[in-house]
Amino acid sequence: MIVPLRTTQRASSKLNVPSLTRLEGVVSVSVEVYGFLATGPGFMVFIAEVVESQEHTEPKPFLLFFSFFTNTMPFISKIQRQSDFNLFGSSTPIVIDNGASYFRIGWAGEIEPRVVFRNIVQRPRHKATGETVTIVGDHDPALMKYFDCTRSGPRSAFDSNVVFQFEIMEYILDFGFDRMGATGSEIDHPVLITECACNPVQSRSKMGELLFETYGVPSIAFGVDTAFSYKYNQQQGVCDKDGLAMCPGFTTTHVIPFVNGEPIYKGCCRTNIGGFHVTDYLKQLLSLKYPYHMARFTWEKVEDLKMEHCYIALDYASEARLFQKGAKEAEEKTRCWQLPWVPPPTEEPPSEEEIARKAAIKEKQGQRLREMAEAKRSSRINELENELHGLEFLLQQLEQVDDSDIPSFLSETGYVSRQEIESARIKVTQTLRKAKGEPKNEQADMEKADTTSNEKYSLVNIPDDMLTPEQLIEKKKQVSLKSMSEGRQRLKQKRYEEELERERKQQLEEEKRLENPELYLEQLRARYKDLSERVDQRKRLKTNGGHTNGNNMSGGIGRGERLNAAQRERMRLLTTAAFDRGKGEDTFGTRDEDWQLYKLMSKDNDDDDEGPDEDDAELARISSRLQGLDPTFVPKSETATGSSQLAEVPRIRPLTKEDFQIVFGVERFRCPEILFNPNWIGVDQVGLDEMAGVSIRRLSSKDESLEERLTSSILVTGGSSLFPGIVERLEAGIRMIRPCGSPIKIVRALDPVMDAWRGAAAYASAPLFNTQTFSRMDYFEKGEDQLRSYQLKYSL
Amino acid sequence: MVMKGKMEPEVVEAELVLPSYLSFKRVQMYEKYPKGQARGRHWKHLKQIIQAENYQNYPPDEPNYVNIESPPSMHPCKRICDVTGFEAPYFDPRTNLRYANTEVFKIIRSLPNEYVQRYLALRNAAIVLK
Repeated sequence: MIVPLRTTQRASSKLNVPSLTRLEGVVSVSVEVYGFLATGPGFMVFIAEVVESQEHTEPKPFLLFFSFFTNTMPFISKIQRQSDFNLFGSSTPIVIDNGASYFRIGWAGEIEPRVVFRNIVQRPRHKATGETVTIVGDHDPALMKYFDCTRSGPRSAFDSNVVFQFEIMEYILDFGFDRMGATGSEIDHPVLITECACNPVQSRSKMGELLFETYGVPSIAFGVDTAFSYKYNQQQGVCDKDGLAMCPGFTTTHVIPFVNGEPIYKGCCRTNIGGFHVTDYLKQLLSLKYPYHMARFTWEKVEDLKMEHCYIALDYASEARLFQKGAKEAEEKTRCWQLPWVPPPTEEPPSEEEIARKAAIKEKQGQRLREMAEAKRSSRINELENELHGLEFLLQQLEQVDDSDIPSFLSETGYVSRQEIESARIKVTQTLRKAKGEPKNEQADMEKADTTSNEKYSLVNIPDDMLTPEQLIEKKKQVSLKSMSEGRQRLKQKRYEEELERERKQQLEEEKRLENPELYLEQLRARYKDLSERVDQRKRLKTNGGHTNGNNMSGGIGRGERLNAAQRERMRLLTTAAFDRGKGEDTFGTRDEDWQLYKLMSKDNDDDDEGPDEDDAELARISSRLQGLDPTFVPKSETATGSSQLAEVPRIRPLTKEDFQIVFGVERFRCPEILFNPNWIGVDQVGLDEMAGVSIRRLSSKDESLEERLTSSILVTGGSSLFPGIVERLEAGIRMIRPCGSPIKIVRALDPVMDAWRGAAAYASAPLFNTQTFSRMDYFEKGEDQLRSYQLKYSL
Repeated sequence: MVMKGKMEPEVVEAELVLPSYLSFKRVQMYEKYPKGQARGRHWKHLKQIIQAENYQNYPPDEPNYVNIESPPSMHPCKRICDVTGFEAPYFDPRTNLRYANTEVFKIIRSLPNEYVQRYLALRNAAIVLK
């Protein structure tokens, strides 16, 4: 039996047989390959035997049809240096498919290009040496870490699908020829290089100039990649000599009609949209959807995602509706990319034992601290007591000492006089009392003060003229002291009275409450509401200046927002004052109010008047009272501030696995859909399906049978035609624009990516190829005019 | 000249760096574009190239790079929601975004202006200040 096989491997060109483990319809098998029977373009046939399988139990040899040009991941770089360059005679042409995304170079007559790489150049700085170097194509990212690529990104020689930067083109050709193994003094082979349809002459002549003058190429031929792909598939019997080639490429999409095996550029049309735009669209959409993972969406990664997951919906609207409804099919079609995520260490709530243990430890520590403090205190008391005893003993001794002997007696102790010792003793006694925690007995002091006030302020009531100067000074001191103590007394009195007043009020209120509790509560609530509103209002004014912007997000967040109303007013005054150049008569100052201005300007009037404080205090009082009386009452200010805080501070929740998942649902078919609806990304041109109609219209053959022949042999080729579902969608789309009943047959090229090169290689190996080239002599003699009219004849 | 001796062995092994001298070239890169000289390094962009081609001097039925471009579509444009990709019956005049339903409307109204502009830029409708 012949079993078609699909690989899941990206490197499908490397025939790593043990990895071919997915047979169509069978879940997973291992096969043993005995040998292979035949190869052809795009397939190989093996004889193999199933060794392990979940379904096939009996081992039975069978033929294995392995198509190694699969639809998944067709873009693979091959940059190994070739060693057989010198084995090819100088008449063997070199074939280059110079695509905007990939550069492919190889020998005419071969099936595979020798060297394939991305058509880009990077000029990074080598980190160790600091040199700027040239790196062509795509390389192992592991090696790129030695280079600083931050200053210049990858650059392409293409603007749209036209080569314009020939310095970059030269680097690319250098690398291509170098990897082909060229070692001579020039490239002594004819070159066939592809270009876009209707390439501007300037680009074509620059390319010719580069190849002739720098590489010494003897002759060149220019051809169109789409045409080569069509011709190749025509030779393989995939399409007829009359037909349409539709080629969604990297930067552009072409539709070229073929009549009698020759492309008719008159009927050709180009829409400036391609795989680049699809990838870019996907990249943008994903970064908008997952801003936190933006760094993950590198160009290469998104390109991979596109090739792996994107598909074209048969009908976009109904497919989208499926997803909108959240249907089961949609769920199955949703893909999820799990980014590496390490779960954060889970914090288990401590067990009862743990809590108890911790509490015990804490208690123990507290106990120890208390003990330490106690020990310190007792030792201090001891110390003080000793000191006190010493001082008392000293005083006792002093009693027995003569007055004249006191200085000599005291010289050892450090004290000078008896008074000093006395005062020290009093101090120590006080400290001791404090240390022991005895009350100071203020009341007693006060009483004493009262009783002694007459003695203390003895001089106050004596007229000045009866006093000596020293006594006068003393008197002044006494007067001030007296007034101070009297003030204190008054304050105390006032406080006491206030207390009484409050109590009286409370009593009154209590009476009211007892009289009619419902009414009282109602009144209280009303008052609370009123007050809280007032306070809130003021707060808002203070922070926002009464200027409420419904949508803070879209509103301008400027300087004005940060100042409160008073500050803003002040700024206004200052600016008007600064810019007032005295137009007309200066009347400032004629009225007294004018001078108030300076007060307003002088400083930030942040300090509010007394009103708000009173309000705040009243609010607090009422709220506490309400809390006491009404169990259902919740202070509004708390809830309000709570909720606003919730809104302001983003809630910190532990990141979960789901936060690191990139989900593709609609994006899977939304992105490639731009091939059919270019206006979704702002390109006002027809989409792929309509292009077929445009192309046939432009051909204006007026031959219905030719039109029917064209539509019955439509070939889709090019990298972006790899999306699954494109053929079905195109068929539906083209059926809509063609007359009813016209035959429509759409086929995909054998290998949409490689066929252009293969076609070119086959073309260049034809014996008549040299009739289609132009030589260096032609180029220099005939110049640009010849280049303008130059056109390859594809059927030789 | 690239001094390969100083590079890491694996970089040299992979021949990552393009050598500056290649025997098969008649003119080397460093001769053609000497260091520090910007002359000869300016390349016409596609627009300038097309302008210089003077296509207007040639018969209009002769295919060229410009006239093979596709015309605008004849079909009415399908409008999709800028955020979700669903069909979009509604349009928000404040942000100029199209949206599918009330949930998306909530989202677009909470979007910062930068994101709104980026969504608009996807379909080339963003406000560009020059």
